[in-house]
Amino acid sequence: MGNSVWKDTWLITLRSVKTTLRNPFSFIPNLMISAFFLLVYEGGLSGISQLPMFEGANYLAFILPVSIVSAAIGGAGGAGQGIVKDIENGFFSRLLLTPASRLAIVLGPIIAGMLQLFIQTLLIIGIAFLLGLEVETGFGGILFVLLIAIGWGLAFAGYSAGVALRTKNAQAAQAGTFIFFPLIFLSTTFVPYELIEAQWLKVAATINPTTYIFESMRTVLIDGWIFWDLMQGVIAIVIACTITITFAAISAKKAVSRG
Amino acid sequence: MKFQVKFVIFKISIFLTLVPKILVGVIVVNGKIEVEHLSKTFKKGNVQAVKDVSFTVEDGEFFAFLGPNGAGKSTTVQILTTLINATGGKATVAGHDVIREPEKVRRYIGVALQETGVDPDLTGRELIELQASIFGFSKVDAKTRAEELLNIVQLTDSAERRIGNYSGGMRRRLDLALTLVNEPKILFLDEPTTGLDPSNRMAIWKELRRLNEENGTTIFLTTQYLEEADSLAHRISIINDGEIVATGTPRELKAQIGNDLIALTFSTKEEEEKAERILKEHMNSGDVILQNRKLTVYVEDGTKQLLELVRLLDQENIEVATVNLSSPTLDDIFLKITSEQVEKEGEVHGE
Ligand SMILES: Nc1ncnc2c1ncn2[C@@H]1O[C@H](COP(=O)(O)OP(=O)(O)O)[C@@H](O)[C@H]1O
Ligand SMILES: [Mg+2]
Repeated sequence: MGNSVWKDTWLITLRSVKTTLRNPFSFIPNLMISAFFLLVYEGGLSGISQLPMFEGANYLAFILPVSIVSAAIGGAGGAGQGIVKDIENGFFSRLLLTPASRLAIVLGPIIAGMLQLFIQTLLIIGIAFLLGLEVETGFGGILFVLLIAIGWGLAFAGYSAGVALRTKNAQAAQAGTFIFFPLIFLSTTFVPYELIEAQWLKVAATINPTTYIFESMRTVLIDGWIFWDLMQGVIAIVIACTITITFAAISAKKAVSRG
Repeated sequence: MKFQVKFVIFKISIFLTLVPKILVGVIVVNGKIEVEHLSKTFKKGNVQAVKDVSFTVEDGEFFAFLGPNGAGKSTTVQILTTLINATGGKATVAGHDVIREPEKVRRYIGVALQETGVDPDLTGRELIELQASIFGFSKVDAKTRAEELLNIVQLTDSAERRIGNYSGGMRRRLDLALTLVNEPKILFLDEPTTGLDPSNRMAIWKELRRLNEENGTTIFLTTQYLEEADSLAHRISIINDGEIVATGTPRELKAQIGNDLIALTFSTKEEEEKAERILKEHMNSGDVILQNRKLTVYVEDGTKQLLELVRLLDQENIEVATVNLSSPTLDDIFLKITSEQVEKEGEVHGE
């Protein structure tokens, strides 16, 4: 009796994917909002890119990272929501009562959330291509953008899973997600850094790690392989992941412990 | 020569791979529960939920933990099923220490907590198959097991529906099926029939009796219903405020409490107190309790003694306002046991 950690993780992940698919309202709104960024800003604001600071880049490539990060946050937030749902309806305890690996019980919903994020990101990029996206670095660039999206999503998944495991409460987990949305806007969201006028917003954008995510994606989409510009995003991700995954691991340990 | 050596090694290796399987088949797991001086204090609110509880449940026994809300039943179940750690004492389930070897304990037990643990987005069949896979069943075996269990809990017709659409009774039955997936030696059931309608309750009772009688499964059941413990269990422990206050077979407990219960009320306080004094002189004083303006008397044979009592009071010119003859409920048992405890403590303090 009993399985390996891998088998347990596989079984529990599969289950999480199934429940996500059966609740389309858990991902469709977020996907629509993310697509909305592309459509609206491409439709209404693309004139901005005629400004000299944009150096003729197309606004679609400029706004795409915003859309991707928004989708990533929504997808990764699904990880926390999956865990809270399990805790609230007692299924989490039911799993703890089986010989299943404790790691698998927590990891299943997180992996499912990451899969959700991956697919959402692909869809968003697909829509951008339909709208006429051109990528300076080609296929490799798209892979890099995907990687950044996954990395940033992982950081956020760690955060949302940590909050879920700590609060065990759906409202709290939801509220925890919402504090991330301002991060999207307190950044170089719609205009480049040089064009931000308000000093406070400049400061916010400098501190905000999302800025570095946007910038590295934009570099690869618009400018090309500029090593240090790309590394900014990678470093931001490594730091964020270290913090949030540690937080998730500590919270998970507490949630499955028997104190 | 070389060939022979190889052959011998081959035989030995076959033997060695078989040994564990043979052993698992031979070593019969003992479905015994041993609890010694178990305590649990929750840091939150500094609640002492379980206080120095000791008891033993034998392999194959049907044991009930009977107690009101907040008595510490669920806390005890959670400790014995490895969900939470005790803050004191020791517990062995199926031969393994619940604190040091939780993984081993989990293999041999089936647990239905007070709140059902189901994923509403799966169908009944999917959930049982998942549970079986987690316990190491192959895909085919998991399917077979699901079919069997759906049959047992009579959910075959709803097997393909999502659990979110199940009624409370159906969820309970599904929860029971989940606890049976691994053919547990010991079943823990925390208030499995609370809030159920009579037909669902009967279905669960029937299945629990069958499991205990046919499969020899040890059952640890908690309940707030005296009649449930009475009709199912071989032995009952009554728990109140974290402590076991009485243990025995249903027959023993009833003998201790009295089979019938006579409740008397009077129009004046003086009459009440006088009646209490007279009856306490007349019979075992512990069997007479005055509380909330009601004089309760525990007796062996209600119909016979009722007349006797009324006649006795009549002789003393005490007028009885109302009389009520009934069987004791859990509340009555508590009233009796706790008043006995207060009396005993009073004696100790008096010395
Ligand atoms: N997680 C907890 N934290 C703090 N107190 C708790 C917790 N769980 C139970 N209690 C308290 O412990 C006592 C016993 O509870 P419980 O075991 O649930 O009783 P029962 O199952 O018999 O109704 C109650 O006073 C309850 O409030
Ligand atoms: Mg309880």
